[in-house]
Order: sequence, then structure tokens, then C-alpha cells
Amino acid sequence: MLEISDLVTAYGKIEALKGVSLQIAGGRITCLLGPNGAGKTTLMMTIAGILQPRRGSIRLDGAELVGLSPARIVAQGVALVPENRLVFPQMSVRENLLAGAYQRGDKAGISADNERMYQRFPRLAERREQLAGTLSGGEQQMLAVARALMSRPRLLLMDEPSLGLAPLVVAEVFRIVADLDRDGTTIFLVEQNAHMALQVARHFYLMEQGRVTFDGTPGELAEDEVIQRAYLGTRRATT
Amino acid sequence: MTDFVQNTLDGLMIGSSYGLLALGFTLIFGVMRRLNLSYGPSIMVGAYLGTFVYVQFGASPIAVAALAVAGAVLAGIYVERLCFAPMGPGAGIASMVSSFAIWMQLEQAAILVLPRHTYPYPPLAAVAPLMLGPFMVRLDHLIMLVAALALSAGMHLLLYRTRFGLALRAIIGNPVAAHLVGVNVRTAMLGAFALASGIGGIAGYLVLAADQQVTSMFGMWATIKGLIAMMIGGLGSIPGAVLGGLLLGIIEMHGQWYFGSQVRDLIAYFLLFACLVLRPGGLLGDAPVRETAAYGRRA
Amino acid sequence: MDDYLIGVLSNIGIVSFIALSAYVLLLTGEISFGQQAFFAIGAYASGIATALWHWPLAAGLAWGAAAAAAAAALVGVPTLRLHGLYFAIATLAFAEMMRLLFELFHYQVLIDGELVGPNGAEGFRNIRYIFDNNIDATEFLVLVYVLLSATLLGFSLLERSRLGVIFRMAGEDEVLAELSGVAVGRYKVLAAGIAGALAGIGGGLYAHLTTYVEPRIFDVMLGVHSLAYGLIGGLGTALGPLAGVLIDIGVLESTRWFAGYRMIVFGGLVAVLLIVRPRGLLDEVVVRNIGKAWRRTSPLRRHEKQGQP
Repeated sequence: MLEISDLVTAYGKIEALKGVSLQIAGGRITCLLGPNGAGKTTLMMTIAGILQPRRGSIRLDGAELVGLSPARIVAQGVALVPENRLVFPQMSVRENLLAGAYQRGDKAGISADNERMYQRFPRLAERREQLAGTLSGGEQQMLAVARALMSRPRLLLMDEPSLGLAPLVVAEVFRIVADLDRDGTTIFLVEQNAHMALQVARHFYLMEQGRVTFDGTPGELAEDEVIQRAYLGTRRATT
Repeated sequence: MTDFVQNTLDGLMIGSSYGLLALGFTLIFGVMRRLNLSYGPSIMVGAYLGTFVYVQFGASPIAVAALAVAGAVLAGIYVERLCFAPMGPGAGIASMVSSFAIWMQLEQAAILVLPRHTYPYPPLAAVAPLMLGPFMVRLDHLIMLVAALALSAGMHLLLYRTRFGLALRAIIGNPVAAHLVGVNVRTAMLGAFALASGIGGIAGYLVLAADQQVTSMFGMWATIKGLIAMMIGGLGSIPGAVLGGLLLGIIEMHGQWYFGSQVRDLIAYFLLFACLVLRPGGLLGDAPVRETAAYGRRA
Repeated sequence: MDDYLIGVLSNIGIVSFIALSAYVLLLTGEISFGQQAFFAIGAYASGIATALWHWPLAAGLAWGAAAAAAAAALVGVPTLRLHGLYFAIATLAFAEMMRLLFELFHYQVLIDGELVGPNGAEGFRNIRYIFDNNIDATEFLVLVYVLLSATLLGFSLLERSRLGVIFRMAGEDEVLAELSGVAVGRYKVLAAGIAGALAGIGGGLYAHLTTYVEPRIFDVMLGVHSLAYGLIGGLGTALGPLAGVLIDIGVLESTRWFAGYRMIVFGGLVAVLLIVRPRGLLDEVVVRNIGKAWRRTSPLRRHEKQGQP
């Protein structure tokens, strides 16, 4: 569904993405792992149109996304749940969700989706008039996901949803991710928490210092010794 | 006692125009996170356009008002396109200084076209002042107050009941997230600018019609008053802008009554300085945050 | 040299002081719209010293600079916690307060049957030191540029010194600087004092050149101009603000037919320039590149290259 070819994004002279190529297939979860500073968030921001790449292409079902404004990219059906959630702090939960549906005109459909979000995220339903800035980290994460879903995206990007959350909350977040997967949503997930990611993702990429250094299945990932040591914290006994 | 109430009443009236000026200012700041020092001058362009048609063609007050607002909006768009739109996110300083440069440009352009120190403006309500008991209230000042309240209410409705308002609040809340939910941020910012300039144009018209003249110092005056009222009320806060304006008006009136007009201005600036040093967030705004790389984004 | 040219050059020299004053603060990362306040304090203080207390010019100028520096440091303290926009507006407010205070300031002394001294909004006339002591226009010009050269020397020493590094550190990221152990507050007050002194010298020279100052001169326009010079000319070097002054006064002033449209042109120029080069013409990158190119062509290196087989 999403085809990224040879993407180069730079901040001034520093290239954060040094020619990244990867494919996101529809209907399943693809996960991008990597250490801090690898360029994962830069990649997400480039896909979303917030950053402009120097070179390369990003095609969504054949349509080129590079050069489009972020608003146009949302119109194409891409929604990003950003790192650090970035909820609208002075708006209520309800208004945040409404903002997520900004480009939609079908009031009935928006209302229905709103209700669906409250069902999927009961904690948000309880707090629907509360200001988003006063929510806990986990609740803000739910809100950010729900807000992105309000635009009925074809492709959902998630940038480190487990960041800064307590283990119980992280489990809840991934439960939601698994639910979305079951519903058929295409998800491109960036994570540092490889353990949780292994439970939901069907394909893995690893990015280090602006380059893709691994492209394979969860099984292959688990077999790879280097990755084992660096990211999974386990060491397989050499046979 | 009568004096006190009278001064307070007068202060409320003039303060309502300050509030409107601050409203436009704070809208631009809230949305763009930058200060537009060309705000007053763009209103002045509109004002001069208004006086021009009044003097040359004897236009009616409505026409003058319409042109004053239109002129302000056009000038505002010019400023936005030149000083704010082309700048990247980190160039707040450059935008502010650029807007000052255009302030100078607009002022000189206006003075070149209409070189005299003062020009007449059609009066708003050429009737005798109303008497509420022992207190005197001018009808045109009253109109100003009503207009200010109406515009503030309108602003509130716009922000909370329209799609455009939602877009603005999204940008004010978190500009990146606004992009991510599909708001066309650049268009919305232009719209905010035009709206703010329009409000400023109305404020300017009301003040000048009450004064029945416009002087070449008007641009500076509008910017300074709007700035002080905005900072007292709290940067980025709409109710704060109105409150700050009213408060400034009242304090100025009392200051002028007891100490004369030079001290009045001195008090206004002192108020601003003290407010910044003691409580930079103003009455209703948020305390400023420090941008730093050390903690990722904010300290 | 004809009188007009001397006049323009003196003007350029004097305005350079207030441009450099704003520049010092820009180095530490703060925008000030208010350096005209210290320009005014320098003007009034040195004028009072020479015209009312009969001090020699050097002492008067020093006194003006000291008074301005002290005032600046004093204001620097309560505004320490302010940054960016808030600091800028605070400086604006302070400068306007000073201007209004000068409009209320009366201090007159009877000298030779005449009342001399600051007279509120009427201003301060008869600062006649250079005329009473037969210092002609050329000599005064030399004085201005000697002081300016000394200042530039000071800046070049500053850029190479630890203090200069600290200033730029504070300008880049104050929190990081503090975390590195720098007592940023103290250095900001120091920077404020230096900036005040520079503006004060400029003010003193201005007062004696024109023999008459009034509060109206020291308005926001002057303050923002001084800021704009650094932003146009570049923040990479002390020569940047001077370049800005040169562009404004030198080019636009002397092309007569611009006269009525000067602000329109200058204003537009500034706006366009800031789009293309937000850190000015001679920004840090350009200065570093010039430095590299300079070193590459230095006689020493050429000699080395010749020595190679």
C-alpha cells in the first residue's frame, strides 16, 4: 500500500534519512524498530508531509505523496499518531475527536464514529468534557489514537505509542493496536519496545543512523543474534 | 465620588476600543506565535483610505467605515504575505522585525499620500451626550462599547461554533497536530490575519469617528495601546484582551484626571513593565515557557 | 572633505554605537527595542556634565557611558527572567518610560545669565562644548572614529575570549548554558551593562555634535532601527551592524532622490532580506567561511605549499 523509495530527508547539512526504502503492505501491522536518533520520527514526519524530503518518493497505492501539504496527505487517507501524542491541550476530549474529523463533512458519520470511539476507549467516554491537557499519559495516547481514527484513514501511522507509559498502560495500548489490526486497519508502527511489537507486527524493519538495516519477518528478527543482543536484551546460546 | 464613577465610565468606553485592538493582536499572536508590529499601521492604512474618500468624495459614514475595514484587511494581508508566511518556524524574531520594517514603510507611504498632520473623520453620532443621572455618557462612546462587546461575542461564536474557529483553536493548541488532523494551516493563518485586521479596522474606525479626526501618529498609537492591553490581559487570551483593554482604559482615565496626560502615558507603560516583570502571563494568559533543546522542547 | 560628507560620516559613526549596543544583546540571544533609552541617558548625562558642570569632554563622555551602563545593568536585573518576546516588549516599555520621564525632567542652572539644562519636552539646548573649545567638525569626526575603532578592537578581543564564547552560548540555549555551569544571569547583566555603555557613548557624542537633544528623538523608531542594523548586516561579527548602518544611512541618505521614500525602500528591503537571510548578510556561517577562505590563502600556507615536492 505504501511504497517508500530512496528517501532522503535532511536538517540543513545533516541527513537524517540517508536513502530509506521500504514497503508497507495493506491490512496488517508493519513495525519499524530502531534506537534513538535513528531517524524514525523523521521518517514519520516526512510521510505525513510535515517535513519535506530532499530526494526520493513516497507512494500510497501509486499516488505520490511527496510535495503534498500535510492537509492533502490527510485527505489521501494517511493519519499519524505522533510521538508525544500532541493532543490539543485546551480542547476537551470531545473537541479533540471532532478536530480529528476536520476534513469530513458527513455529520451523521462523524457522530457515529464518535460513539464508536467512546465504545472502544471507555476511559475517554468517561472524560469527554475534560480538557485534554489534564489527561494522564495513557489517556492522552488513547485520545491521540482515537483522534487519528476519526479521519477514517487508509493507513495509520503510529510513532512510539508506548513512550513514557507504565507497563500496564502499554499493554492496554497494544491491546488496542491488536484490535485495530483485527478490524483490518493498515498500521505502520514505530517502536522501541521490541517485545510488545513482536506480539502484534507481521513484518519488521530496523533503522539505524538513517538507513534500513533489516527487512524481514518476526521469526527472522528473533533469530538474528545482533538484534537479539541490541534490542531484545536476550542472548541465545551459540550452538 | 461622581468624578470617580465618571472617570471609570469614560475609561470603560475608551478601554473597549483598546480591547478590540488587543483582540486582533492576540488573535494573531495566538495563531502565529509571533508579534505583528505592523498591526496598528495596517489599521492606519484603512483609516487613511477612509478619510481620503471622506475628504475627496464626501462619502457617507458607512462607506468610510467599510473602506477603513477593507483597507486594514488588505494591508494586513500584505503584511502577512511579506513578513509571516515566508518565514520558517524558527524565525519569530525575523518576523517581528520584518513587521516593524513594514510598519515604517506603511507609515511613510500613508504620510506621502496624505501629508497633513490631521484629517477629518465623519462623526459617529453627532448628538448631545446622554445623561445617566449625574453621569455623562457620549453616544458614540456607548456605540464603541456595545460594538466591542458584540465583536467579542462574535469572536467567541466564531471560535467555538465554526469549522474555521476549530481550525484556529487547533493551531493555537498545537500547530503540528493541526497539520496532522488535516487543517490547512497556511490558509487558516491568512484567514486569522485578515480577521484580526478587520477587527482592528472596526476598532480604528470607531475611535476615529468618536474623535472626528485621524492623525499621523495613529499607527503607533494603535499598536502601543493594543500591545499594552494584550500583555496585561495575557498573550493569546481572548477574554484577557478585552479585560486588559478595559482595565487599561480605566487606569488611564484616572491617571489623566489626577496627573495629566503625560503621566497618563507613563503610567500605561509602567503598568506594562510591571506586568511583564511580575506576571508575564498577564491576568488570564499562560506563563511563558522557555524553548530549549535541553529538555526536548520546553522547560 | 566637504561638510556634508563629514556630517554623514559622523552620523554613521555615532549610529554605529547604538547598533553595536543592540548587537551585544542579540549575541546573548535577546532582542531589545529599548537601547535608545541608554542613548538618551548618555546624551543627557554627558551634556549635563560638560554644559552645566563644566567638565572636559572626555570626562563627560565617560560619565554618560557610566550612567547608561549602570541604568542598563539595573534594568537588566528584574528582566532577567524574561525572554524573547516578553523581554523585547519590556525593553520597549522601559524605553518609552524613560522618554516620558525625560519630558518631565527639568534641571536648569544659571550660566552667564542664561538658563541652561534639560527643560522637559523643550529639550536640552546649548550643549556647546565643542564650539566653545574650538573643536572643528573634522576633529570631532576623528574622535568618533577613534572611539569606534577602539570599540571594534574590543569586540574582536571579545569574540576570541572566553567571555565571548559564554555570551554566544547563552544566546544559543540558555538552559544548556546553565546546565554547563555558567551563571547565565550574571553574564546577561554584564552584557546589558556593556550594551548600555556603548549606547551611552553614542548618545554623548550625538548630544555634543548636534548641541541639542529633546526626548522626542529617543523614540521607538530609533530603537528598532538599531536592532534592524544588526539583523540586516549580520550577527556573525561586530562589522555586521556597521554594514547595516552603512546601508541605511550611507546609501539611502546620500541618494537624494530617495529622500521621501527612504522608509518605504528601507522597510521593504529589510523585509525581503529577512526572508532570504534571517540571520543577516554577514551571519555566522558566512563569517566562518570567510575566515576559512582567508586562512587558506594566507602567506604562511602558500609558503608551505611551495615547500612541497
